Amino acid sequence: MNLATKELRRQPRRFGAVGVALTLLVVLLVVLGGFLDGLERSQTGAYRAHEGLLLAFADDADRQVQRSEVTAAVAEGAAGVEGVAAVGGLDRAFTVAAVDGELVDIVLFGHDLATDRIPAPSPDAAVVVDAQLRAQTGVSVGDSIDIGAGGGASGGLEVEVVEVIDDLTQGAPTVWTTTERWRELVAAVNPAGVPADGGHQALVIALDDGADVDAVRADLATLGLDAVTPAEAVEALDVVQQQSSTFSGIIGVTFVVTLLVVALFFALLTLERVDLYAVLKALGASSGELLRGVSIQAAAVSVVAVALGMALALGFVAVLPPELPVRLQGARLVQIAVGTVLTAVIGSLFTARRLLRIDPAEAIG
Amino acid sequence: MSALELDQVRKVYGEGDQQVVALDDVALTVPDDEMLILIGPSGSGKTTLLTVAGALLRPSSGVVRVGGADVTALSDAEQAQFRRDEVGFVFQSVNLVPFLTAKENLLAVRQFGGRRIDAAAKQRASQLLDELGLGDRADRLPSELSGGQKQRVAIGRALMNEPSLVLVDEPTSALDSKLGQQVMEVLTSEIKQRGVAAIVVTHDERVVDFGDRTVEIVDGVLRT
Repeated sequence: MNLATKELRRQPRRFGAVGVALTLLVVLLVVLGGFLDGLERSQTGAYRAHEGLLLAFADDADRQVQRSEVTAAVAEGAAGVEGVAAVGGLDRAFTVAAVDGELVDIVLFGHDLATDRIPAPSPDAAVVVDAQLRAQTGVSVGDSIDIGAGGGASGGLEVEVVEVIDDLTQGAPTVWTTTERWRELVAAVNPAGVPADGGHQALVIALDDGADVDAVRADLATLGLDAVTPAEAVEALDVVQQQSSTFSGIIGVTFVVTLLVVALFFALLTLERVDLYAVLKALGASSGELLRGVSIQAAAVSVVAVALGMALALGFVAVLPPELPVRLQGARLVQIAVGTVLTAVIGSLFTARRLLRIDPAEAIG
Repeated sequence: MSALELDQVRKVYGEGDQQVVALDDVALTVPDDEMLILIGPSGSGKTTLLTVAGALLRPSSGVVRVGGADVTALSDAEQAQFRRDEVGFVFQSVNLVPFLTAKENLLAVRQFGGRRIDAAAKQRASQLLDELGLGDRADRLPSELSGGQKQRVAIGRALMNEPSLVLVDEPTSALDSKLGQQVMEVLTSEIKQRGVAAIVVTHDERVVDFGDRTVEIVDGVLRT
C-alpha cells in the first residue's frame, strides 16, 4: 500500500487542476515540437535525400552551398582520394517555374549521382520534381514546365517532368536535373550564378564499402573540402539554426512554466497538508518518505497528462491545414514525454524544504 | 525496567524576558503496565510533557528514557524510527488519514521505514479492529465513521506496531459522555491486555477513574 497512490486513486479531483494545466502544456509542447520539426524538414529535404553520402563544400563556405565553389581540379582530386567510390556535383539555384501559366518559387538542383531517394539525372531535356511541387501545382509525369524568368515567352526553358519523387522541399519545392542542364537553365537567368567550367557549388561523395570515413574526410580536407554528413550540413543551415534556436527557446520556456506549475501546485498542496504530514511524521514517517510520495504523485499526474496531451495534440494537428509545416516525430514525442515527467518530478522536489520544516510536534497541541 | 523515565527534564520556550518554562525539572517514572492519567489546567505543560516523552520535542535539559534507552540523544531520523517502533500516539483531533480506510490507517504505520505490509500485518490490523468492535467497518473511510469509531481506529493505529509506550492526548474531548466512556473502556482494555505503559492527558475528570495513577501538572511542575 502506498499512501501517495491511494490518494491519487481515491481523491483524483484534488489533482485535477494540475492535471489539466500539464495536459495543456503537453499539447503546446507537442505542437511547438511539430512546428520545429516540420519547419526544419521543409528546409532540408534535399540534403536529407543524400543520407549515406557525404556533402563536400569549400572549406571557407561555412557549409553553405550558396557560398561554396569547388573547382574542377579539386573535384578531380576528390575522386582520387582512397575510399571514395564516386564524386558528383551538386548545384543549387532559387528560381521560378511556370506550370500551366501558374508561377511558383522552386529550388533547382543540378546533380550527377543518384541517391536512395533521387534517381540518376536524365540526360534529356527532362527534370524530376518533388511531391511538394505536384501538391502545389498539380504537375504530373509528362507535363512540361517552364523554368526561368516566368515562362518560355519571357526567357525560361521548357522541360518535361519524367518523375515525381518524395517531398524534398528545401525552402521551396525542388526540381532536379543534370548539372549540365542546371548550368544552362541558370545561365539563362543569372549567368553570374554559374560556377566556372567543370566546377560545382558542392560535391556529393559516395564512399567505398568499409571506407574509413574519418580518414576520407581528413584527406578531402587537405584538398580544401569540408566533407560532412547530410545531418551536419542540415545543422549548419542558417535558417535551421535560427528556427531551431527560436523554437527551442520557446519549448525551453514552456518546460520552465511546467516546472513552476508543478512546484506551485505541490507547494500549495503541502501547505494544505501540514497537519497530515505532521501526524505522519509523529507516527514515524521520514521527510524522505513524504517527499517520495509527493514525487510519485507528480510523476503519475504527469504521465496521465502526457497521454491525454499527446492524444489531444495529435487530434489538433490532424485538423490543421495541410500547408502548415507540422510534423510529429516519434523521437520528439518521446523527448517531450520524458521531459515533462522529469520536469514534474523536479518541480515536486521544490516542496522538500517545506516538508523538512514540518515539525511532528505540531501533531499534538 | 521502567517503560518511561523522565529525569530532571526541563523545557524552556523563548529567550530572555520572553522565556516560558513549560517543564520545570520534571521527574517521572511510568512502569510497564501502568496507565498514568496526567491532568492540569490549560498551559500547565501537559502537552509539552507528552511531546517530550514521545520524542516529538527535545527537552532543554534532562534525560528521557524509554525502555532504558536515552531518546534525547537520538538523531531526528533515529527519533522517527523510535516513534515508529516504540510509541503509539492517539491524538486529540484523531487525525486519521482521510483517504485511507480504517484498516489501511492501521497498516499505514506499518509501512513507514520501508517495511512491507505482509499477511501478518493485515491479520493483526483485522484482529485489532475486531477487538475494537470495528470489524465490519474495516473498509470504511474516516468520513463514513462516527466520532467514537474514529477514535477507536486511532487507538488501533496506536497499538498496531506493538509499542512499549502509548501516549494519548485528550481522548474524550470531542465525544459526548457516553461515547467518551466507551472509548476509555476500550482504550483501558486494550492497553491492559498488552501490558503496555500509557500516559493519558485529559481535562475530563471522568477519565481519572480509568487510570492506575493520576498526576497533576501545574506551571510545568508535577504534583503527585
